[in-house]
Amino acid sequence: MRASRPIATTRSATGIPTGRLAVWWVLASEVVIFGGLLASYLMHRLGHPEWANAAAVTNTWIGAFNTLVLLSSSFTAVLAHQAAEHGDGKKAARFLLFTMIGAATFIGVKSFEWYHEISEGYTITSNGFWSFYYTAAGLHALHVIAGAVIMGFVARDAARGRELQRVELIGIYWHFVDAVWIFLFPLLYIAK
Amino acid sequence: MTESRHPDYRKIYFVLLALLVISVAGPFVGIRWITLITAFGIAVVKARLVVQNFMHLKWEKRIVKWMLASSLALMALFFTAVAPDVMKHSGRNWVNDAALAATQRGIAAPGAEGGREGAAAEPAAGAVVVAAAGFDARAAFSTICASCHGAAGGGDGPGASGLSPKPAKFSDPAFWAGKTDAELLKAIREGGAAVGRSATMPAWGSLYDEAQARALLAFVKTLARP
Repeated sequence: MRASRPIATTRSATGIPTGRLAVWWVLASEVVIFGGLLASYLMHRLGHPEWANAAAVTNTWIGAFNTLVLLSSSFTAVLAHQAAEHGDGKKAARFLLFTMIGAATFIGVKSFEWYHEISEGYTITSNGFWSFYYTAAGLHALHVIAGAVIMGFVARDAARGRELQRVELIGIYWHFVDAVWIFLFPLLYIAK
Repeated sequence: MTESRHPDYRKIYFVLLALLVISVAGPFVGIRWITLITAFGIAVVKARLVVQNFMHLKWEKRIVKWMLASSLALMALFFTAVAPDVMKHSGRNWVNDAALAATQRGIAAPGAEGGREGAAAEPAAGAVVVAAAGFDARAAFSTICASCHGAAGGGDGPGASGLSPKPAKFSDPAFWAGKTDAELLKAIREGGAAVGRSATMPAWGSLYDEAQARALLAFVKTLARP
């Protein structure tokens, strides 16, 4: 790729590699994005006891299955990080591939779920609950898609033994997306 | 520099799966507070495991923890500042009619419309309020009436102080003397002015049909003290 590394990857005032610090800053802003959305949902939900009728329609088993998928994909992402630190780019790439398969499964299940809900007439304009449901889960799904795409580039480089530090960076982002879903699951699927 | 410790990820993964099973199983117990703990308590534990071990926050420099904590603190500030307005549908001098009406429509139609109340209840569609079956008069009273008439019907709700004449005191036996059901139902559905009383009492006919107004009246009668 390039013979010399850009200076930002080697210089650091905080003692944290610059790339990783950047990811943390991204996540700090993501906390506000998702936190604002979920906090708004929570206060409206508490003010509208009748939303329980709408929440009763969501399928807990589908939500639980997708939680399982994301937890597993996080597990393989962290194994990829471990492999990368041991200098094994091929193994790291393989584990990242498993994570991407998890992402594809998650999106596939979500499409199936939404297809059924929308065809039954529950759309983003049905009422407050469904507006939050599609907005929060949709924003999260966009994060899953974006993460999986970036992961593809990271894995391609890693398989050739390049830029192995990026495996950890995409992993940190991925675990955050997983953590967001950990909260979305009870908020949208369990609290009835 | 980039060297970080690696805990036994498989063990953490299995703990996460076990916690997932508990959070799904929680609601089957059927006790509300247990569901809240298994749903949200466990979500916090799961997220913490992921953040600490998978994201390696446990071994990260302190500045990162402060960054994330600042974001979370902002969220807490946002929630506490905004939530009281959003969660309360009426106050001393204001009522959020839209939110109150949405709540009433939704509660009056449990399951029947399966959460589609927003679409079904467009005024153009007839705004038919569902029959009294499943109508919780007590809940309706505490969301709609209590803000002026008082939670126990003492005419002393938070909205009462600015009103003249004062709201009816249901707990006072004198109020009930010589009043017919027809007159009271008319007051509920058509407003105070319709029966020659205070015009500040709104007409609730768009919210409650005849049967629901009767249920409401029956509940209000239980507030009368001998």
